Amino acid sequence: MHQDPTFWILARASGLTAYVLLTLSVLWGIVVKSRPFGNRFGQAAVVDTHRTLAALGLGALVIHTTSLVLDKTVRMPVQALFIPGLSPYRHYSVAIGVLTAELMIVVYASFSMRKRIGFKNWRRLHWITYALFAGGTAHGLLSGSDSGRTWALAIYICAVASVAAATTWRALEPLTKGEANVPNRNRSGSV
Amino acid sequence: MFRIEIDRDLCSGFASCVQDAPEIFELDTSGKATLRVTETDDERALGAAASCPMNAIAVFDLDTGDLVA
Ligand code: SF4
Repeated sequence: MHQDPTFWILARASGLTAYVLLTLSVLWGIVVKSRPFGNRFGQAAVVDTHRTLAALGLGALVIHTTSLVLDKTVRMPVQALFIPGLSPYRHYSVAIGVLTAELMIVVYASFSMRKRIGFKNWRRLHWITYALFAGGTAHGLLSGSDSGRTWALAIYICAVASVAAATTWRALEPLTKGEANVPNRNRSGSV
Repeated sequence: MFRIEIDRDLCSGFASCVQDAPEIFELDTSGKATLRVTETDDERALGAAASCPMNAIAVFDLDTGDLVA
């Protein structure tokens, strides 16, 4: 009997959507701190956009995982969504995806606990986002059934290239205008 | 006694803190809040932390180390 492909299509589409949204959130996070748009956008709007993109990405992940369980093309037991290594389908790369998603939720949730864990610790925790981006890319490429297609590869290449370019720009940027804040930062005795 | 911290990356210069407790907070030349004192017994620090729209001010009890605002 022919299977209903709805959930399979949904799983693939939402997986890629989550990847794109989370990449945008990472890019936004890397770029906006240096205020490339001047003061045109308030910092509140900048932070809200970063968080909203991440929340939308995590929302897409919920659709991605739910539809994988509901779909019959690959067998995905519910527990495999929470425990890395239980997926019968592409065992290792799905494990990377599960671990990455779980840590992503930790990073997202840590925002509300910033004061409790300390601003500095929160910022340190945020560094793992780079590893999570790598994990998400590896998971998408290795688990995704569309990875061989040109359009899908183009998405991954664009994402990696843009994050690499933004990171390089950000690393070089403090040497120019970002330096202005440093003496004040020390003076305030805060972070 | 309280210990105060500001997350300057998040501070947007709304200056609510400066209005609430000008003895503790001021805006620097980059328009962000900075601390005049890092420790104080002035309870207005608590109000300032509560009024910060970015939630960028943390106040700790110096004796217990507990987060109080
Ligand atoms: S109220 Fe908050 S955002 Fe506004 S200046 Fe003070 S610390 Fe910065």
